[in-house]
Amino acid sequence: MADRFDYPQAQEIRDTFARHHARYLFLGKSGAILLGFPDTTQDADLFVEKSAENGEAVVKALIDLGFALTVAEINEIKRGKDFVQLKNGPFDLDLIFAPDGIESFAQAWAHHVEVDGFPVCHPDDIVASKEAANRVKDRESLPRLKKFLDYWKQHR
Amino acid sequence: MNNETMNNEQIPEVDEAQEKEWIAEFEASMRRPLPLRMKYSFIKTYKPVLDDATYRSFETMADYREWCEKNLPSWLGYGRSL
Repeated sequence: MADRFDYPQAQEIRDTFARHHARYLFLGKSGAILLGFPDTTQDADLFVEKSAENGEAVVKALIDLGFALTVAEINEIKRGKDFVQLKNGPFDLDLIFAPDGIESFAQAWAHHVEVDGFPVCHPDDIVASKEAANRVKDRESLPRLKKFLDYWKQHR
Repeated sequence: MNNETMNNEQIPEVDEAQEKEWIAEFEASMRRPLPLRMKYSFIKTYKPVLDDATYRSFETMADYREWCEKNLPSWLGYGRSL
């Protein structure tokens, strides 16, 4: 099992993905935490643009980061399967190519937020994706997350 | 988007005291530098089944949700009901 995700690893993602021109956004609770939401989570979730060119770039970045990918796995990521869960690298990472509740990557990118150079989904999108997923753990965290969204909008 | 999206009636009401407590937590969090926020927020505990494979992929999010419902212990919270 990989160690917990930390700031230097987030920087590695940011810098390595940028080097390969890979387009992505932090999503989910990991995105909310980057924005300032005080809560706990285990994995980093990346909303990745689904295109052949970006799939290629993401694979190169993942290999540089130290993920041990088989040829079949590389092809699935390049193709952009909707959800890919990676636990074969220095930290756990979820790649989401088509998150519930968000229209498109282009729409999410158009109003994303930058935090210390980290591209993060707008909190409206983070909330929308959690509402659409409607899992037990989302229902438990949503009231506090929505209150944070209000707070963040007032204080940004 | 799936057709089982949560509606406002499913989200529990929050009282004023709870809200004040949350706001105090938000303010404290925003005063912390990002590396410290992340140190406090990212944790690691073993999640049965979920952590037992090094790679998984799903053609659609619906496939992923269905796999979670069928394969993960309900207490992990990845399903739509306990």
